[in-house]
Amino acid sequence: MTESALWAIVTGVANVILVLAAAPFCEGIIRKVTARVQSRQGPPIWQPYLDILKLLGKEDIESGESPGLQRLSAYLSLAAVLTLAWFVPMGAAAPLTKAGDAILVIYLLTLCGVSTLLAGLAAGSTYSLFGVSREMMAMLTLEPLLAVGVIVGAVETGSLRLDDVLNASVYSLAAWPLAGILMLVVLLFSLQAFVGRVPFDTAEAETEIMEGPLIEYSGPKLGLFKYAQMSKLFVYCALLVGLFAPWGSQWPYPLALLVLLAKIGVLVLLITLVGATHARYRIDQAIRYYAALFVLSLVALTLALVGF
Amino acid sequence: MPARNVLNQIKERFEPSILRVDVPSDNRLFLYVTPGVVRDICNHVFRDLDARYVVSIGIDDRPYSGQFTVAHNFGFEREKVLSSILVNLPADDPVIDSISPAVPAANWAEREFRDLLGIEPVGCPSMKRLVLPDGWPEGVHPLRKDFSWDLKPAKFDENKVFAFDDPPEGCVVVPFGPFHPTLDEPAHFRLYVEGEIVRGCEYRGFMVHRGIEKLADTVLTYNEIPMMAERICGICGCVHSVAYAQAVEQAAAIEPPARARFIRTIMLELERLHSHLLWVGLANHILGFDTLFMQSFRMREPIMWLCERITGNRKTYGLCVIGGVRWDITPEIKDDINRILDQLEKEWIAAAKAVQGDRNLQKRTKGVGIADAALVKDLGLIGPIARASGVPQDCRRDFPYAAYDQVDFQVITQAGCDVWSRVLVRVLEVFESIRIIRQCLEKMPAGPIQLQLDDELPPGRIGLSSIEAPRGEAHHFVVTGEENRPRRWRVRAPTYQNLQGIPAMIKDQQLADMTISLGSIDPCFSCTDRLEILDIKSGDVRVYSQQEIVNMTRRV
Repeated sequence: MTESALWAIVTGVANVILVLAAAPFCEGIIRKVTARVQSRQGPPIWQPYLDILKLLGKEDIESGESPGLQRLSAYLSLAAVLTLAWFVPMGAAAPLTKAGDAILVIYLLTLCGVSTLLAGLAAGSTYSLFGVSREMMAMLTLEPLLAVGVIVGAVETGSLRLDDVLNASVYSLAAWPLAGILMLVVLLFSLQAFVGRVPFDTAEAETEIMEGPLIEYSGPKLGLFKYAQMSKLFVYCALLVGLFAPWGSQWPYPLALLVLLAKIGVLVLLITLVGATHARYRIDQAIRYYAALFVLSLVALTLALVGF
Repeated sequence: MPARNVLNQIKERFEPSILRVDVPSDNRLFLYVTPGVVRDICNHVFRDLDARYVVSIGIDDRPYSGQFTVAHNFGFEREKVLSSILVNLPADDPVIDSISPAVPAANWAEREFRDLLGIEPVGCPSMKRLVLPDGWPEGVHPLRKDFSWDLKPAKFDENKVFAFDDPPEGCVVVPFGPFHPTLDEPAHFRLYVEGEIVRGCEYRGFMVHRGIEKLADTVLTYNEIPMMAERICGICGCVHSVAYAQAVEQAAAIEPPARARFIRTIMLELERLHSHLLWVGLANHILGFDTLFMQSFRMREPIMWLCERITGNRKTYGLCVIGGVRWDITPEIKDDINRILDQLEKEWIAAAKAVQGDRNLQKRTKGVGIADAALVKDLGLIGPIARASGVPQDCRRDFPYAAYDQVDFQVITQAGCDVWSRVLVRVLEVFESIRIIRQCLEKMPAGPIQLQLDDELPPGRIGLSSIEAPRGEAHHFVVTGEENRPRRWRVRAPTYQNLQGIPAMIKDQQLADMTISLGSIDPCFSCTDRLEILDIKSGDVRVYSQQEIVNMTRRV
């Protein structure tokens, strides 16, 4: 028992380190590829690491209505994502599968969004409140999608245990795993929204509401939010891979990790290209889009319930 | 005689009230009328004769005639006539009937002469301060001749704040500006927002008004003003310097040489090219579509290099003087222009196709920022805004200047009245500009580029000039004067009118659409404010050669 606990801690810490190390790299890829699409030179690929270091080293200015809550939300945003990393398989089995179930994962996903809401509410400026209301609308329609994705897996396996749900159990044993494939499509279409990139960056929308919830943040706190956003992108991609394309995760350690990173790389490229070729949607247009996806996901859930 | 025809139409109803008539040419008309009929006559001209309202100007003429003068300018597009309806007012009681109830577009201009000259427009629906800063003392009017250009009023109250109207019931106030990522220059919109819907707004701008019109009639000389005029705007500077020069030339009956007129046309169209490319980029940036933003800036860059090659500067060309231009277009430059235009045309065909087929862009811009033909008429909206509402209004064709009467081009119109139509108008106008420049290069005659002016310009004459700037009509009004400088110079930049349409365009729309609606008029607040920018460089550490700087900034 102690040995397995120790193992869980080792892999868990390894996951956290992996997320922290690789997330800025993904951001670097996004920036570089975007720049190439836009006929620009683009920053060096390690620029996001430097950006975060720079932000962390700056003076910590307390602006906004309730500084304590602002500080808390900055910590919470990164903490929630890093905790989530303990439940996602990255090269090895997910470290804490025995400690939590699919419901906990959904809660942690929601907590990431909640920390953004807190950040905006604590800042208390008009623009951040606009960002909060948009973020809230997006969360209410968006978060159920991932929940349905996890639940489809749970339905297929008859268990809410994470290690059962993960590892592609979304695909039922039926000849045509319709529910799983439909869910995969839905989540690929909503990935852009989950990571808050153009065309679904309505909550931040620099040219409309000036970064929304983050408007009052600078220095280390902003650094933490940025780091959390990058990490969120990495963890969401890893979770998507874990749910829908885990093939290769059973291979020996370094190989499984490389396969995972390659798959995440493909998703990151997808995110980049969609972001570079779209204009931002208005919140009502975005919500309508999410709602359509939600209906599809319910169809997938029904299919899973009747055994497809 | 189109100007005569217009005059006869007005005479039919107002003959007894017309004091004096001046028809200096086929396309200019100056009418002096009695103060009592000014609202009726403007109403008649604006509604019955369907003239477009241009601007109203207050003039302190006390040192010369002992009176104040107010001029209401109208453009008769069908007849191709620009006209001024002038009223003289007594020096001790400068009061005039406001024409805003009949001509809503006149609101700002009337408030402006009330602020700057103390001429009271009686019956104006909104009398709030427009141009002067909040702390400026009452009863001090900087454009009056007895106000020295460098005087600082003693009772300036730093702490006074502007009294905004109360927001409507159930609305939150969202301050938009003075500083906002999509505003390149300061302006303040106080938005009244209900949920995500904008219910109304109040505008407070003119934050960087530096009074260059005052400088022009006290300090500068005729040929210094074009250099100042092009510093009004960082994008369409050439427009202002040419418009000013043309107004003076028209007042003094000077005809610049043909080659100079062609060079002016070429530079104006180059300016439109880079301005439209800039706008398409910025509009896409506002919508979060940064790829098209970057691409259109890349395509724009060679145009900037071309301008630098011709004039020595990317912007602020120092092109215009009274009676001609300062830079010639040599055969080598001509080849360069042709080469770059070919390249741009090729790239822009691809870009235009991408824009026109982009459903995502259409989703964000169709039905957004509606300005229909009635609003265009009432508020005197101009340029791409008017043309996107199906109003075929274009000064290049309506009031031909420079060499536009010798080139063939199309006035692009769209019927959608929304931001999408404005995108299409500007995208397609790029091709027309390319056509115009090519024709100019072909038809440009040899000869001098400047006129030798031996005599002093005659004082007391009025000149009007309208130029189709990239954003719409830029209108300059000049009264010539003594001591080698005008008595009065009034600039009406296109944004001055278009900005007045914004409250109607954003009403009952999503907050998210506010920025692109505002962006769709291509606002140029500095034009509105007539700003002067001073660039102070400190501590020069190392002097780079031009080539070094070019090498650092360009990848050819």
